[in-house]
Amino acid sequence: MFLIDDILLRTLGFTIPGLDMFWVFEQILSFSRKEMYDQIKDKLKENRMLYELGEISDDDYQQNNAHLVRQLKLAEKARDMNLGVRTDILGGDRDT
Amino acid sequence: MYCIIRSPEEKISFGSIGFDGGEVYTLDYNDFAPVVSNSKMKDYGADEEDVKVHKTVVEHVMGEYSVLPVAYGMVFKNKKLLGFAMKAGNRAMKKAMNSVDGKVELGVKVLLPQSSKDFNGKMDECRSEMMRCFLGIAADSRSLKLFSDRLLLNASFLVDWDKLDEFSDCVGRLAGEYSPLKVQYSGPWPPYNFVDIQILGKKRGGFR
Repeated sequence: MFLIDDILLRTLGFTIPGLDMFWVFEQILSFSRKEMYDQIKDKLKENRMLYELGEISDDDYQQNNAHLVRQLKLAEKARDMNLGVRTDILGGDRDT
Repeated sequence: MYCIIRSPEEKISFGSIGFDGGEVYTLDYNDFAPVVSNSKMKDYGADEEDVKVHKTVVEHVMGEYSVLPVAYGMVFKNKKLLGFAMKAGNRAMKKAMNSVDGKVELGVKVLLPQSSKDFNGKMDECRSEMMRCFLGIAADSRSLKLFSDRLLLNASFLVDWDKLDEFSDCVGRLAGEYSPLKVQYSGPWPPYNFVDIQILGKKRGGFR
């Protein structure tokens, strides 16, 4: 019922943050994206620390680092794509 | 803008060590002098080289003066805007400078062994003992994120230049006492974790 209400309201160009299921989904998605980004950054720091303390070899460090930097760039792209921008059917662009 | 120092008597040049090889020098705004270089107006993203330049400049200045480090990427269109920010943040800068003057930041990370079975019952005791020793010497401390499951302790300490050796001895002694643990000791750094400066940020007052 909520979903149908949301769709109906959206076609008229209205959304009510908090009562809007799409809004809730977007918040969850945005939160999980940030979580993922933070986790990769933590892994990068851990990799560096283990290398500096002599727990992993230079090769392992370089390999892990390159892999994590790739992941981080992807996560940054996902964040910068600003998928939270909605296009109203009746109006222009609007940030959520 | 790299950092802020107490106003020297005359303008100081730190040499051509800034972004794009620009001269790093001081400007004078009442009690404080921002350490700056002229640069093209651009978006200073997370460019590794630029971050390194920023860090090197702050560390260089720190060798001679007490610094309020400024976050990387702080760019002003002109001197007027910079002057406005300096004026807005004067009170907060005075407060921050009083707390970090003559002090440096030191970092301590303590890593559990790969097999931490031996330490299962002693982790809290070990952490408390270390913190007690460090806090007995340091003027202030910040607990930082434990970004790895193996980290037992990750903290920064604000320590007087005069007490640097005492603090280092304490770290060395504890590292010996708890030898299965690995201790990573770093610094001296500019007091990044003890000064939070946001010039003309969203919060009122500019600096905070």
